[in-house]
Amino acid sequence: MGSDNRRHEVLAQTLDLTDASLSFSRREFLLITGGMIVAVSALEAKGAKEAPLIIMDQAGGLVISDSTKCVGCRRCELACTEYNDGKASPTMARIKISRNLNFGPKGLYAGQHSEGNWGNGLVIQDLCKQCPHPVPCANACPNDAIVVRPPTNARVVDLNKCIGCKMCQRACPWEMMSFDSDTNKATKCFLCDGSPKCVEACPSGALAYVAWRDLTDSVPPRVVPTAIVSPEKAQTCNECHKK
Amino acid sequence: MGKYGGWAGKVLRVDLSTGKISTEGTTEKYKDFLGGTGIGYKVIWDEVPAGTKPFDPANKIVYGVGPLAGTGAPCNGRTAITTLWPTCWPSPLVASGHMGGQFAAELKYAGYDAIIIEGRADHPVWLSVSDGKVEIKDARRLWGQGIRMTTVEINQLMGPEASVAAIGQAGENLVPMSVVINSYSHSAGGVGGVMGSKNLKAIGVRGTGSVRIAGNKEEWEKVVKLHLSILGANNQNVVPNVPQSWAEHYNPGSRWVASAGRRWGAADPSIDTGSCEPHNLNRIAYRTNNAAFFLGDKAWQYTVRGNGCTACPIRCHTMLKVPAVSVKYGIPAVGQNTCVGLLFGRSFFKTFPDGPKGQTAIEACMVGMHLADDLGVWDNYGQLQRDFQELYYNGVFNSKVREKEFKGYSWDKYEQGDPTFLFELLPKIANREGELATALGLGTGYLLERWGIPEQQWLENHELLYWKQGHPKHHSNEDAGQCGVIINTQYNRDAQCHSHSNFTRNGLPIEVQKRLAAELWGSSDAVDAVGAFKPMNVYKARMAKWSILRKELHDCLSLCNWMGPWVASPLKERGYRGDDSIESLLYSLATGDQMSRQELDKIAERIFVLQRALTIRDMGTKDMRTKHDTIPDWVFTDPKDKDAFSKGTIRMDKEDIKLAMDTYYEEMAWDKETGSPTAAAYRELGLGNVAHELAKKGLVP
Amino acid sequence: MEHQEAIGISILNMIHNRSASGCLVRAQEILTELKGQGLLESVGIELETHLKTMLKQVLEKNQDIQEIFGRKEVSYYYSVRSMTEAYAGILVWKSEDPLWLIAEVVRESSKVYPSPVPVVSFREPPFDLTLETILECFKAFGEGREYQDICQTITSTGTIFLYSSLHLDSDYAAMLAEWIDVGQADNP
Repeated sequence: MGSDNRRHEVLAQTLDLTDASLSFSRREFLLITGGMIVAVSALEAKGAKEAPLIIMDQAGGLVISDSTKCVGCRRCELACTEYNDGKASPTMARIKISRNLNFGPKGLYAGQHSEGNWGNGLVIQDLCKQCPHPVPCANACPNDAIVVRPPTNARVVDLNKCIGCKMCQRACPWEMMSFDSDTNKATKCFLCDGSPKCVEACPSGALAYVAWRDLTDSVPPRVVPTAIVSPEKAQTCNECHKK
Repeated sequence: MGKYGGWAGKVLRVDLSTGKISTEGTTEKYKDFLGGTGIGYKVIWDEVPAGTKPFDPANKIVYGVGPLAGTGAPCNGRTAITTLWPTCWPSPLVASGHMGGQFAAELKYAGYDAIIIEGRADHPVWLSVSDGKVEIKDARRLWGQGIRMTTVEINQLMGPEASVAAIGQAGENLVPMSVVINSYSHSAGGVGGVMGSKNLKAIGVRGTGSVRIAGNKEEWEKVVKLHLSILGANNQNVVPNVPQSWAEHYNPGSRWVASAGRRWGAADPSIDTGSCEPHNLNRIAYRTNNAAFFLGDKAWQYTVRGNGCTACPIRCHTMLKVPAVSVKYGIPAVGQNTCVGLLFGRSFFKTFPDGPKGQTAIEACMVGMHLADDLGVWDNYGQLQRDFQELYYNGVFNSKVREKEFKGYSWDKYEQGDPTFLFELLPKIANREGELATALGLGTGYLLERWGIPEQQWLENHELLYWKQGHPKHHSNEDAGQCGVIINTQYNRDAQCHSHSNFTRNGLPIEVQKRLAAELWGSSDAVDAVGAFKPMNVYKARMAKWSILRKELHDCLSLCNWMGPWVASPLKERGYRGDDSIESLLYSLATGDQMSRQELDKIAERIFVLQRALTIRDMGTKDMRTKHDTIPDWVFTDPKDKDAFSKGTIRMDKEDIKLAMDTYYEEMAWDKETGSPTAAAYRELGLGNVAHELAKKGLVP
Repeated sequence: MEHQEAIGISILNMIHNRSASGCLVRAQEILTELKGQGLLESVGIELETHLKTMLKQVLEKNQDIQEIFGRKEVSYYYSVRSMTEAYAGILVWKSEDPLWLIAEVVRESSKVYPSPVPVVSFREPPFDLTLETILECFKAFGEGREYQDICQTITSTGTIFLYSSLHLDSDYAAMLAEWIDVGQADNP
């Protein structure tokens, strides 16, 4: 009964964010609540107006690609922005083909063995991995504008909070963040809430929507990302990961 | 944000003589002409006076795309290039070429609906268009290089995503039989020399912008999916070529070649094209394999995948990997193209040691593509190769070319079907080396004139497929009887119209075609089974008119006329009907400018009649009927001397064709005697000022 | 009766599955399958009659299930969800008589498109006839009353096409064969 009472106490206190004098650690909190919460708010954020958001929960789904089948038509990019945003914008597309289409992901400097239309024909489709914790784009956002959206639990840009600073773009190792120059806000793959338009649009069946799995270790990054964590978040990270 | 969606909003104008770069508002100035060839003909009419020659600085080149380019509308990756045509004989007239690839979309994303090139630079230049930043750059270092190297170098400057349209040595050397190419394999015939004459080596475009869809995005998604649902395979062939369990019909001549066991053999791992049940829109890309269609089953093992233009699911280009060619000929093992481009190398040879569908023929294609698509040589829809065979085997080369030069060619290799022969021939054409190569590079009309061969010989020859003015037929009576003949009279180069042949070759049983024809053109008599043609009737003229107008419409909207119109479909539940209004549905939603099918066809008619007016003006005669709309003699003959309208012949009858032209002119509301639009016809289309200008010169009946 | 229902469902599933894989089902095969599932144990001696009744019921209840007869009064079943009548027809002919198969396909094609048929296509799916079989069939064409109308035409590249003289005359067939084999590629 003791631990149950403790659980109630913790939850009650969690809801009351003005109480800064809590006597248990972040980690303890997670262990108590079973770690199955969507995000963690810093309970001891001194001086912070709002508690920073850190995504914990895994995404439920993922779009994956087969490069052998990609025929380089770009209909995925067009479906993504036309059906979601009412405009055709490969630059803004949340699945990215165009940058690899001619010469492959390594571009023109790959020497003799390039991919793409000018190489061996392989078109590598770049897709958001819906990263598990720690989520680079979300953690880089100074406004906690990247959130988790059920039912897919995709990592999604909250347009009400996004201020268009592009820190998320810098943070993604695979350069998957997009920027909408009409709204001046970031955007990213949100799995179209469970029916990805790109998957539907592909005329060669090169894309599939599957149960999420962690691809962050298997797909080589495109860039060395700039990862900066705000002090508030840093504090949260420290507390949670402290032994 | 502009008033309309679809259009990017600006037309870019570049004067290479002065270096001046300016823009115009697309819809403000050109809305009545939509885009593509519409803008092209308008600019040529307004700004390029009669008597201008293709390589004069006063000639202009208009790279035009349409409001649908760059969108998700299926089959929209086309750029139309309008200019005075170098191979048009005996005197140049306006014509248009078309190239696919990524160029059209990239131009839209950069913010432009067209580029007008004027004047002539005093040294080699290339044009850099990077979103709003347009610069004329020095191309002296690029000059002399092939298209491939030029493209790669410009991509190194502009980034790997830039789309580059470049000419090769052929265009630089003002060879009329030359092309401009973008996206590796997408060529526009005939215009390379015009760019070369302006010292314009290439245009590089990079666009990070977008194309706005004016209409409701859910509506747009529905219409795009409707369009996808009625697509067939290449050339809108709507039945498979072998029986499939889901199919009621099949036709051995169809380009829908997917079937279980037919694999993209050079993919890793290889992929079975399998059953492409038409409701499954995720399998459209497997239906077509033009390499297999043209080169035979051997091509399957070499197929990596399909390729093609932006937003098109059909992938009519085939990417082939033939390892043997890198060892045998020292060329890359991977090559790609479609149709005539794919067949470029093979078409020269009368025979191969292992037949027209054997290994050597495939290798000849690989060598041909490698050379032609880098040197930028054009083949005038196969006329180059047909002329070559004729001139060689009838001893004309031998007699017209000096002995020393003639003996410089390895004719034994040519006769044996050895692809290495192409390494001798094609660079010479591109570089104008020697009499033989120079003459061939002029185009048929000027070649015949240069060598004192009467055009009549070509007009009588059943095998050469020559039509008029230096160009061959392009889907004429062999595809659609009188309808095809009419269409082939109307242009200043080979007709480039597929509206009619896409229909007659769709593979459906003749009774189904007739049923659809009745709905489309007023009677089932509009179409006959190929080889069982019947006498002329008004419905065939209506079909001809429809075909021409839709081709112009497609060339203005940026839709691919090698796929459209989409009036037949593979869907049994639709009675195999497509949708005759799909163009207007897409146009209205994308731009926000509501147009019905009829209204849009009217605009297409305006554009076509402007082309007619240009032809009349620049020929200096209104007598189109006898001076321009001519039909070669071979159309009225048959190799077995079978009668016209008997079964087993495509032979046409002279009186019947006279009637065909009469009926067509009536359908167009033109003067029957001259085949020229009347003043009323011009005015009806909003071309009153055109009529006025022509009337001043006595060119209106 | 639950038992009857189970039989009906089993039959339906079998036809659906086989159709989806591009095959027809014969009554005999259904019988074997049902026996294998132990569904016919309580039925007794008159299995065939019982089966006929069950099949009739399945046909009545399910619009997509069709029956098609071969030459020897054997009946086949398929679902139009996966297969067209035309395709089912080809499969019937294929399983009964390759000679008849070739003849019927050639006649249909000569009449409807109209188009002669390249002989080589009979070696590919769904026909899958061996070269020997095809050559055997050739012997019968042009002889005897039944196949007198099946004729050959050869294109300029040596490709053999078959056509039915009931629907195409020799000149017409020759022209069409040449168009398919050579002409279309020369006029791409």
